Amino acid sequence: MTRPADVTATSSPGTAPDRPAPAAGPVKTGGAARPRREIPYALFLVPGGLLLLAVIIVPFVMNAAISLTEWPGVGDPKFVGLDNYTELAGDAEFWASFRHNIAVTLAMAVIPTFIGLVLAAGLFDYIGKRFGPRTAAFLRACIYLPQVLPIAVAGIVWSWILAPEDGALNALLGGAGLESLQQDWLGDPGRALYSVMGVMVWVQIGFPLVIFMSGLQRVDPALHEAAEIDGASWWRRFWHVTIPQIRPEIFVSLLWCTIASLKAFAFIYVLTKGGPGGATSVPSYYSFENFFDNTRVGYGAAVATVLALIIIALTVVFLRRQSKGEEG
Amino acid sequence: MVKVRKVAAALAALAAAATTLAACGGSDGGSDPNVLRLWHYEGPDSAMGVAWNQAIKEFERTHPGVKVKFEEKGFEQIQKTAPMVLNSKDAPDLMEYNKGNATAGLLSRQGLLTDLTPEVTKRGWDKLVPAGVQVTAKYDAKGTMGGDKWFGVPNYAEYVQVYYNKDLFEKHGVKVPATFAELVSAMDQFVAKGVTPLTNAGAEYMAQQFVYQLALTRADRAWVDSYQRYTAKVNFKDPAWTYGATTFADWVKKGYIAKTSVGAKAEDAGVAFMQGKYPMMFSGSWWFGRVAAEAEFEWDTFVWPDSKMTLGSGGNLWVVPQGSKNKQLAYDFIDITMKKQIQNALGNAGGIPVAADSGAITNPQAKKLIANFNQLAGSDGLAYYPDWPVAGFYDTWVSEVQKLMNGSATPDEVLGNLQKAYDEGLPK
Repeated sequence: MTRPADVTATSSPGTAPDRPAPAAGPVKTGGAARPRREIPYALFLVPGGLLLLAVIIVPFVMNAAISLTEWPGVGDPKFVGLDNYTELAGDAEFWASFRHNIAVTLAMAVIPTFIGLVLAAGLFDYIGKRFGPRTAAFLRACIYLPQVLPIAVAGIVWSWILAPEDGALNALLGGAGLESLQQDWLGDPGRALYSVMGVMVWVQIGFPLVIFMSGLQRVDPALHEAAEIDGASWWRRFWHVTIPQIRPEIFVSLLWCTIASLKAFAFIYVLTKGGPGGATSVPSYYSFENFFDNTRVGYGAAVATVLALIIIALTVVFLRRQSKGEEG
Repeated sequence: MVKVRKVAAALAALAAAATTLAACGGSDGGSDPNVLRLWHYEGPDSAMGVAWNQAIKEFERTHPGVKVKFEEKGFEQIQKTAPMVLNSKDAPDLMEYNKGNATAGLLSRQGLLTDLTPEVTKRGWDKLVPAGVQVTAKYDAKGTMGGDKWFGVPNYAEYVQVYYNKDLFEKHGVKVPATFAELVSAMDQFVAKGVTPLTNAGAEYMAQQFVYQLALTRADRAWVDSYQRYTAKVNFKDPAWTYGATTFADWVKKGYIAKTSVGAKAEDAGVAFMQGKYPMMFSGSWWFGRVAAEAEFEWDTFVWPDSKMTLGSGGNLWVVPQGSKNKQLAYDFIDITMKKQIQNALGNAGGIPVAADSGAITNPQAKKLIANFNQLAGSDGLAYYPDWPVAGFYDTWVSEVQKLMNGSATPDEVLGNLQKAYDEGLPK
């Protein structure tokens, strides 16, 4: 694959900033032209840079600074050094919330990516070819619909569906004669996390599906035709042709969804508020609890800082793996 | 190098411009001397909502040229953001706020609320509000309630009682209990007939209030004060707390309370009672107006039997933020809410007024509600609410009582966790 930098270097020789100045020729002209081009390029970065500074970097630095204090939110913060982080290291509730986040990552990234991949291939290869692209697009839109709904609305509707009494799911099970399967879906500590995960999967599937369907459109059909002529089954073509071809999309989906899963807050807030008995608490909700309910702003900031650092580290790892994959 | 400097200068200028623009974005709050900015979170159909709306009209009538700019907020919204809002220039002139050490007490300690003591004595509000109701309006320098300075004014009161469905009691031939033993017996009879006697919400306040009420049956004023006002060291393993937690866990096992209510919210529990699915609901007087409007069966109430202490207190407070620009107008508004006509309107709409004309309350059920409260307040029986003592305790209570209900922790473990959260949260 051709990298964008190579394209620039090839198409505009001598203009890339990292290229040495020509050894011969009119030095005066070349030397005068180059800075004029560099400054406009730098100016293009100014709006984004300012936004990054105002929305990401300054709040992050402020948050990190607050995490070194004991502060109820008003008045003067008291500097306590790394005490909040020391406490965090031994805080069982914090670590439990991280364990729950692994399940949330499964529900918001891994499972939807897998299901989205299979569904996208099915819609593209089977529904699209047999029933036409309009049918495939309609089904894609239906599956994407939960992504458009505000999470608070979806959460409230699901809390009605999963309610122990009068909930639609239990009523459905009762109506089908399956009373033994009726549960307190959000109130039972053994099931609450799985119930929340189920809702998350439902919401998330649409995102990877849309990405993969657009990715599939750029796969050269000749590859599939050649594999088909060689006698490869659908599954072998999917595994050996489709997946390698849309690997960049898979990386993007996993990265995006994993970051979203680490920040997952609204689902937990609306559905369970971290309960029952902390069974569904995640770090973002734990941070919120400390910020607003316990008025331990410094401690909440420490949780948020750790979370942000983990997200940054994961992003770097994903992106490096992605670029390695592309280079390979 | 010159170019780099120019780019840096351009960046700095843009940053400065962005900062200036951001600074221009906020409003300057309520600096208009002819506008009273008022926030409260009472629904328009609730007793308080009805009364406060009437008070707004009366205020505008008696203050020609002055407008009340009312903003309806959510309870949670004010609860979570009050410290930040009150610490900013956007603070309203007058606001309804939750009472207790972890809320109004905390804000008073942080210097965000106006000390209303001179105004309270000047306008005679201290003569109107009963002594038991005053406790939650007054805070000391540490923000502990029952202190020496008024930081809020309650114009109504509230308490927790048992609402019962007369039709279901009659249908199942169960006698309405007058003693604690009869209450247990009534619940046994309902369970025997396949009916869960008590509606409940494990995900919100209802479940924890059962535990606290059960503990209160073995408690007295000194016990309540040590827990709520830190007058003595609290031991969560004492006989009262132990009885409360073990009995509640036992009640879940016996089927008095549905195991499936662990994840239920107060709204679910209240609606289920009003739909006639449960014979009893133990909850606050804040449900009174709604039960009266929505229940399609005969119903009545009784206070928790055989207990000197019951959950209850003065209602939410009118507080005047320290940053209020129109404090005099705010005081005038509070004064109007204390007038007989507004207090009577509150009483007739199902609230518990603190300064109403007893003769003007015409609704018989409202009369009983108020009489029961007066008896409780008169016998020093208001025990406040379990989540008040320390910030963030509400969520701890919810979490621990859910564990108690689903058996994932023993009463002893739950009480140990409550002790830890309580001790860590005590004001230093």
